[in-house]
Amino acid sequence: MSDNSLAIVFFALVGGALRVSTPFMFVALGECLTEKSGRVNLGLEGTLVLGAMTAYAVSFHTGSPWLGVLAAGCSGSVLGAMHGYICKLPKVNDIAVGIAMMIFGTGVAFFFGKAYIQPSAPRLGSFSLGAWTGNAQITQALQINPLFLVGIAVAIVMAWAFANTKWGLIVRMAGDSAPAATAMGVSVDLVRFLSTTFGGFLAGVGGAFLSLYYPGSWNQGLSSGQGLMAVALVIFARWSPIRCILAALLFGAAGAIGPALQSVGITQGYYFFNAAPYIMTLFIMIASAGSKRAMRDVPGELSITK
Amino acid sequence: MSVAEVMPPVVQKQALSIETIGMTKIFGPLVALEDVSLKVEAGTFHALLGENGAGKSTLVKCIMGYYSATRGQVLLDGVEVKMNNPREARANGIGMVYQHFTLVPSLTGAENLVISRADAPAIIDWKKEMRALTAFLDRMPFRVPLDIPVASMAAGEKQKLEILKLLYLDQRLLILDEPTSVLTPDEADEMLGLLRGMAKRKEITVIMITHKFREVTTFCDSVTVLRRGRKIGGGNVADLSTEAMAKMMIGDTVIREGAVRSAKPPGDTVLELVALEAEDEEGLPALDKLNLKVHAGEIVGIAGVSGNGQSELVEVLSGQRPFSNGRIIVKGKPFEPNRDSFYRLKIFGLPEEPLKNATVPKMTVAENMAFRNFDRPPAAKFGWWLSPGPMRDKARELIARYRVKTHSPESAIADLSGGNVQRAVLARELSSDVDVLIVANPCFGLDFASVAEIRAQIIEQRNHGAAVLLVSEDLDEVLEMADRVAVMSGGKINYVAPIGETDRTTIGKHMAGH
Amino acid sequence: MVDVAQPLSGSGAAPNRASDLSIRIRRSAEFVAIPLFALIVSGVLFSIFLLALGKSPGDFYSLVWRGGFGTAFSIQNTLQRSAPLILTGLAVAIPARIGLVVIGGEGALVLGGFAAAAIAIPLVIGHFPPFPTLVIMMAASIVVGGFWIGLVGYLRYARGVNETISSLLMTYIGIAIMNFFVEGSMRDLSNPNKPSTMPIGDAYMVGYIPGTQVHWGFAVGIFLAVVLQILMSRTTFGFAVRVAGGNPRAALAQGLPVGRLIVICCAIAGACAGIAGFYEVAAIQGRANASLVAGYGFTGILVAFLARQSPIAIIPVAIMFGGIVASGGLVQRRMELPDATVLLLQGMTFVVLLTSETLYGRFKIFQPPETTDRT
Repeated sequence: MSDNSLAIVFFALVGGALRVSTPFMFVALGECLTEKSGRVNLGLEGTLVLGAMTAYAVSFHTGSPWLGVLAAGCSGSVLGAMHGYICKLPKVNDIAVGIAMMIFGTGVAFFFGKAYIQPSAPRLGSFSLGAWTGNAQITQALQINPLFLVGIAVAIVMAWAFANTKWGLIVRMAGDSAPAATAMGVSVDLVRFLSTTFGGFLAGVGGAFLSLYYPGSWNQGLSSGQGLMAVALVIFARWSPIRCILAALLFGAAGAIGPALQSVGITQGYYFFNAAPYIMTLFIMIASAGSKRAMRDVPGELSITK
Repeated sequence: MSVAEVMPPVVQKQALSIETIGMTKIFGPLVALEDVSLKVEAGTFHALLGENGAGKSTLVKCIMGYYSATRGQVLLDGVEVKMNNPREARANGIGMVYQHFTLVPSLTGAENLVISRADAPAIIDWKKEMRALTAFLDRMPFRVPLDIPVASMAAGEKQKLEILKLLYLDQRLLILDEPTSVLTPDEADEMLGLLRGMAKRKEITVIMITHKFREVTTFCDSVTVLRRGRKIGGGNVADLSTEAMAKMMIGDTVIREGAVRSAKPPGDTVLELVALEAEDEEGLPALDKLNLKVHAGEIVGIAGVSGNGQSELVEVLSGQRPFSNGRIIVKGKPFEPNRDSFYRLKIFGLPEEPLKNATVPKMTVAENMAFRNFDRPPAAKFGWWLSPGPMRDKARELIARYRVKTHSPESAIADLSGGNVQRAVLARELSSDVDVLIVANPCFGLDFASVAEIRAQIIEQRNHGAAVLLVSEDLDEVLEMADRVAVMSGGKINYVAPIGETDRTTIGKHMAGH
Repeated sequence: MVDVAQPLSGSGAAPNRASDLSIRIRRSAEFVAIPLFALIVSGVLFSIFLLALGKSPGDFYSLVWRGGFGTAFSIQNTLQRSAPLILTGLAVAIPARIGLVVIGGEGALVLGGFAAAAIAIPLVIGHFPPFPTLVIMMAASIVVGGFWIGLVGYLRYARGVNETISSLLMTYIGIAIMNFFVEGSMRDLSNPNKPSTMPIGDAYMVGYIPGTQVHWGFAVGIFLAVVLQILMSRTTFGFAVRVAGGNPRAALAQGLPVGRLIVICCAIAGACAGIAGFYEVAAIQGRANASLVAGYGFTGILVAFLARQSPIAIIPVAIMFGGIVASGGLVQRRMELPDATVLLLQGMTFVVLLTSETLYGRFKIFQPPETTDRT
């Protein structure tokens, strides 16, 4: 590859990381909150898809993409609330419920979304961090969407809240030792229900990003496993919101490799690069699962690593 | 005067007195508590005695507001109070330390203390809180590190933190549920002594659930004895002998006589552990070059405070945990924990909490009893075809012989009471020739009658020549059953002695790691 | 032999055979009644949903009946569609017996089908006789599918990797692998329209069961379901699997080779899904391409859960779903419903079914009579 191609690929990777990481970020943060409270929600893939459709549809009807984002969050919280409510019933297997919610969310999204595949809805705008350089490549690469910044802000607030607020500590308590929480008069079910609901809200917003910014349209192939990868991401990030951001950026860059190489004309192995994020996720899961450090940081009540 | 008595008072308010009148609690057909009335004066250290299932936990849970009593009243300082949940109990100054810790493992001591306050601020100013905590700790008779996660603390430190939490929350009536089960004898004495001192200074009142007579006679002012949900008796400790208290606890239940130990000297070494090493869940060393020998016809009792590698040792021997170094030698040959070796070498086990570790709760009693020989005739034909009929017949036979109370062999084993689950497991493990028996905390949570029966069974196996390894966190159990006593501390066996040549104090010292 | 403990108070109730039978009957009744109830509830909810959309539930169900079961043609179509569902259902049910939630049937099906199509290419070109070719193709599907899910089991046992997530990831990876080859080196260049492997040709296709219009895959599916049911409930292997699935710690303490059992169960699951892929290629499509990704694997998850992970119960449940899938086109055209209707119905049913799990043990009628004295 020539020097110029290398630069192109590099900037494409950076731009890709900034773009593609945003939905990962939101879903991972949502799942991080949910898992910190002691529940696992594998259904976020469905939440992501439903959020994408809701955002697109609402934006189309109201003309405001930000209303679409809000609506996506609300649809996500509905699915999250369903998951939270069902999982607290005795004898229910929360991993299986996650799969069911994934199928259900996707089904609802595709069902109602059929009407919105063709029409064009107002998208979210963006601005470039690199505009001041005057370099077209850098400007293009550093295009970011406000949601990216919102995601980072959410992560910072979450990390701070877990250590410095009463509610943050209560969430950690519910996730680490339900008996301790109950002994303190905290309703573990309620804490997990609220965490799962809010986690769903965040995942819905992540979906809005997909349909209203990048790739910026609604169709049935919009997401393939991003929600799932985000769950693996949380384990890799050892349940720290800041590390979730870093991991999301890493995944974003990995997901951008394929299109980045395509942009310099390397088209072979297109499907391999498509598979790269999944393979990377699998390796990350293998590494984290065997890691004793991860075992030490896992919230005690979580069923996924038992 | 002791140090405890010259310390300035640690809490501003005075100890509570509590009285229950006619406490009754009925769960469906089960009368857990019937008409229990007791009075504990302010500043006294009161013991609540009774065997498992007598109603002690139920009584304190009613006082704490966990359960709402079917009938009865609670008077605090002479005033009737209704407490509908633990929060209200805490608001009234009653705090409880449970058998299983209620500290959050991943939070630090400081975080645990602050979050337990009902008035914990929404946004926590850690500088301010740490200043207040340091000032509080300065007034306490004991201290623990507050800035490390609770998971990294030793059991003794956790227990102290639990008590500190109650004092931090200004609780003036402390209810302790078997508080010394995770402490070495010295730690237990130290803690109980400190609490007694605080009670004497009228800072707190203490109600302690226990089954250890020694603690009652050494530290307590008064005692109440429960049996089958009723108050059988009570009074000042000074006026009651240990025999009288024991009689009240057991009543007229016929306890099987302890099996007589045969005097035959132990035989050859059957089980030998050489420099055994293993890791725990988090990758930290749990067994540290452990050495031990067990001979045929003897019981080696391993005493020790929980958390020193006992669980990991039992897991290694039963094939649930791999060992990283060292050797296990059974009958002179290297041992691989697999099904074939268990069968050939006649190795059996009674793990602790049998429902959790030795059974499949959803499977039937008959199936659970067949775990050892489902792949041999008569249950299995041609080595792979299963016949449920012979399996059920064998189960019926064992149920009758070992008096397992179950509606039918087809009931799920999870439906049985704790004692009957243990009996079913016993029936499965001990009904054939046993050469090596690994037993862990066999009598935890069981009533006296079941306890006596299980211990007798184990001793009978020993008499028949089995090599028995008994791991127990109950020092009294080890002292009663073992031929040789070993102490496990820090993943090693640091002391072994024949039962006749040692005493509780020496063992206690080694348990603490000296 | 050891002496028995002295009797304490009274003697245990003498267990009698009649009460044994009654307990087994109650247990089986609960097993069937609660999923049936869940099915009815989700049917009602879906009907309400249709009404809210201004459609008629009556139309829906009658069209499903007509398209799925009403005529000889539709029944045979249904049975044909249910063949892969039986197999992908088994692919979830067998690992479930050992306590794993494995949902990678779609990936194993796709790769199994692809493997069959790939290995067929040299054999067809070389005019190998059809029957041995098909045997070799099926063997390839079994090996590849078995390996794919067996790997999931291995990762779970050896490294503690959650099998639900890993099997789903493997599905995405498997689909990508198939697409990679089908669009790349294995692409049949004589077909410019849709990327796919070389067609195996009519001579090599799997035929119908004599006297019917249903291909042999259905019979194989039934056969496997019966065999696996017997394996699970009447062999020592099945017993060991149930112990390991019920309590791995207890299984290890009994010296059972839990790791080996996990990998074997997952390999069996993958083999079943692989066979489904084989029949999709050899009996329906004649080649491997993106049409292999038809969602059978995901529907199979619901089939297995509805059948309470019992291989023999999977057969009627798969047939029911086969009917829904077979009539899907008809229903959606006639009622102007989107393609995703079936997916939505599946999701709804699955959620209701899992929620109904909480009803186990709540109804007195299914419980054995109270044990009186519990000391």
